[in-house]
Amino acid sequence: MAETTTTDAVATSRAERAVIDVAGAGIRFKRNRRSRRSFKDLFSTRTRRSRPDEFWALRDVSFSVRPGEAIGVVGRNGQGKSTLLKLVAGVILPDEGVVDVREGVAPLIEITGGFVDDLSVRENVYLTAGLHGMTKRQIDERFDDIVGFADIGNFLDTPYKHLSSGMKVRIAFSVITQLDEPILIVDEVLAVGDKAFREKCYRRIEEMLAAGRTLFFVSHNEKDLRRFCKRGLYLEGGALALDADIATVLERYNSEYGV
Amino acid sequence: MRDERVQGRRWRAPYDGSVTTYADVRPTQRTPFARYRHSLWLLTKRDLHVRYATNALGYVWSILDPLLMAAIYYLVFVGIFHRGGTGEQPYIVFLLSGLLPWTWFNGAVLDFTRAFSREAKLIRSTAIPRTIWINRIVLSKGIEFVFSLPVLALFAIFAGAHLNWTVLYWPVAMLIQAVMLVGLGLIIAPVVVFFKDLERAVRLILRLLFYASAIVFQIGDVPSSFQGIVALNPLVGLFGLYRSAFFPHELSWKLVLISVVGSLIFLAVGVLVFRRTIRTVLKEM
Repeated sequence: MAETTTTDAVATSRAERAVIDVAGAGIRFKRNRRSRRSFKDLFSTRTRRSRPDEFWALRDVSFSVRPGEAIGVVGRNGQGKSTLLKLVAGVILPDEGVVDVREGVAPLIEITGGFVDDLSVRENVYLTAGLHGMTKRQIDERFDDIVGFADIGNFLDTPYKHLSSGMKVRIAFSVITQLDEPILIVDEVLAVGDKAFREKCYRRIEEMLAAGRTLFFVSHNEKDLRRFCKRGLYLEGGALALDADIATVLERYNSEYGV
Repeated sequence: MRDERVQGRRWRAPYDGSVTTYADVRPTQRTPFARYRHSLWLLTKRDLHVRYATNALGYVWSILDPLLMAAIYYLVFVGIFHRGGTGEQPYIVFLLSGLLPWTWFNGAVLDFTRAFSREAKLIRSTAIPRTIWINRIVLSKGIEFVFSLPVLALFAIFAGAHLNWTVLYWPVAMLIQAVMLVGLGLIIAPVVVFFKDLERAVRLILRLLFYASAIVFQIGDVPSSFQGIVALNPLVGLFGLYRSAFFPHELSWKLVLISVVGSLIFLAVGVLVFRRTIRTVLKEM
């Protein structure tokens, strides 16, 4: 009896431990890419106040995400949505504050990025999945699933560069979603591909959510946001303006910028 | 890197959630170090694979450069100036035993100037420890260097060079060179992202360095007024260490010490520069 209670307590604490903790995060960029740089710029410390030719793409953003949450990021263009996604994915680092991601991330950002034109599809699958931490044996086990989902059976030994752009995206999506990383990050990549494949991708994402994955989703499509997400983050001018359930967030967004 | 540890990132404790269905695969999750090694090895293998699989003469290309250089200097010094009778014998082995490690050094430093730009797409989309972009260049060029050693062995056999027990110092020499290259890479790769001019400057400096590193001549041939300056070049002691395998007189522990100290300084400066610049580099990707 006592044992059961302990197990329950452990299970609760696990469920409540955040997988993503963002505290006071900020990142600044140069306004003018061509402006002259000096060695002083290059070595500037991360907390130095912003200079006139710089702007904060995100500032004082704080939130935390529990395992299994599905979060949609909402905002107009240029309000820092993709920057936030990249911070969580770990491909850029904050200038102030902390972005603490405690689990592995499967990033659907520029998904074809890791693929090498000159290598075959088969070699690319092993390379990309390997770079995301899968062992050769794990990839062997899932290889058929990956290829089956992308539906490109006859092109396995074709150099990647000879695939159609649709096929490229399909195989890339297929590899990343087979990664078994607990956090899935999606940045509007699904705008590409034909309708049937997009629906297939959406069903895959729903399956992953049902299996307990955490989702971080950027989209302008209200229908998609409502379909996947429970909670919304509303970004405005680089600040987190509202953190609430997705319906409330969309309501506020529509009332301010709606059609 | 300290910064990446502060950010937490993916290299934390493995997921221990008991509810989810992927728990069965997670136990094979590796330690951060094993994972780093795995990624490094994958990218290095990819480099070599792309080079050897897409060129019909893959392997030949990687040794053709030092062979051609050796042929040219051999013709110039032995064929035209008739200097073959003096200095270390056989001269062709002397040349190759300096040119092959130089090819490693030269190739790696040239690649450092494009370490980030060449992989921009991958860097933008995947969180891989950033130092991998430097280490994989050092490693893949180092492997090519090892692959080119049979050529040196062939020339040594046919030219009748005597192998000395000091060949056992080669792993030490390779370690010194690897440390030196990693340090240089940590400096050059991020700085080039901001100062494109540096890419051209590096080419010029490399050409200068080639003649300042006592590769085609012995350090003893240098006029004594210049010897002090040439000796400060950490490459001189390093190449001497390689050469001692065939020419024991080339080994000078004083110069080797300069190499060791030099490469450690490069590494320390490199780590500092890399830490301070990586944030800004990632924004430029």
